[in-house]
Amino acid sequence: MVLFPDYPLTTPRLRLRPFKRGDVDAVYDYRRRDVVALYLFDVALSREECALAVQQRTGQVALTEEGDKIILAAQHKESGSVIGEVSLIWRKQDARQVELGWIFHPDWQGMGYASEAAECLLNLAFEEGDMHRAMARCGTQNVTSWRLMERLGMRREAHFREHSLFKGKWDEEYIYAILRREWRQSRGDGVLASMNP
Amino acid sequence: MASLRLPIATDQLELTAFERSDTEALGSYLCNRDAQRYIDGLARDKQDVEAVLRQMREQVNLRRPGDTLTLAMRKNTDKELVGHVCLRWSDATAGQGELRFVLHPRHTGRGYAHEAIAAMLDLAFDHYNIHRVFMRCDGRNHHSAKLLEQIGMRLEAHYREHALFQGEWDEELHFAILDREWRPSSKIRHFPPRVRVA
Repeated sequence: MVLFPDYPLTTPRLRLRPFKRGDVDAVYDYRRRDVVALYLFDVALSREECALAVQQRTGQVALTEEGDKIILAAQHKESGSVIGEVSLIWRKQDARQVELGWIFHPDWQGMGYASEAAECLLNLAFEEGDMHRAMARCGTQNVTSWRLMERLGMRREAHFREHSLFKGKWDEEYIYAILRREWRQSRGDGVLASMNP
Repeated sequence: MASLRLPIATDQLELTAFERSDTEALGSYLCNRDAQRYIDGLARDKQDVEAVLRQMREQVNLRRPGDTLTLAMRKNTDKELVGHVCLRWSDATAGQGELRFVLHPRHTGRGYAHEAIAAMLDLAFDHYNIHRVFMRCDGRNHHSAKLLEQIGMRLEAHYREHALFQGEWDEELHFAILDREWRPSSKIRHFPPRVRVA
């Protein structure tokens, strides 16, 4: 199974498309901020680091083997601005597992854009990508992020305490997950799915 | 770090290193289908058992991250081998360790696993200064799950269908305990019985 989606993916207000070289400034505008880096493994990035990241991301558009990533720019349809990014990582090939992630510009948070983008990516993973389970994780203090996971219908599967160090401090982490049949059920396909076991 | 003193004595057991002469006794549970239900690496014949034994006889101390310490569980009465416990030092900077055990199905229900795990937690926290010990078990293995809860470990994760295990969807539980969570209860046990004041 190889997943090479037909881009752009669209949601009501967003276009999810591969990164282009011209996106560096937009990416720098959110990745340079400490408030964005707070819960990421990376620290705040310089413009050069953003350029390198964008360069890498331009090729991260398909899942062909375990470990591959799809990282897409979330572009606001109306204004054309790139307001964040979403990622899908193929964690296990045999068990069809993916990890979902998102980063959004603080000015564009709290308006449901991340929800739209994440929903679109889950749909891609489960339908076209034929995945079995999708997981996402975040620091327990990152309330907006795990609230979104809950809105997406994901279950809190793990709450790790002091299991590792994160930027010099003890880490506390949540892992959320959803199975394909749960996703379909939440989308209202439950009746059909149960009729065709 | 002081060298490890063996055997470690518990109420009913001695935890010691494996001996070359343990092949047969080890094989009697390692090749047992019930014991294999929830473990990785399925031993089939004497050759497999010998290979496992050779490996475990080298796992006698934790010197660097990634090392495993494996101790045989023997009854202190007749020295019969009833199972083994392993402590793996999984991460040095964050002081993490993973504990695993296998018990001969013939010897379940007597508290052996409980004693061995408690002794290994003492060892991990007091001797090796580990910060957090975690254990994993299959979601259907409710005897283990109950045991780990009784010991005072917290259920930190319940993964559903996150991997394939022996050809089926896996359901996995993670239990963990921090050094500060373990120490109070382990100290309380050593208090002298209270004198009744009536």
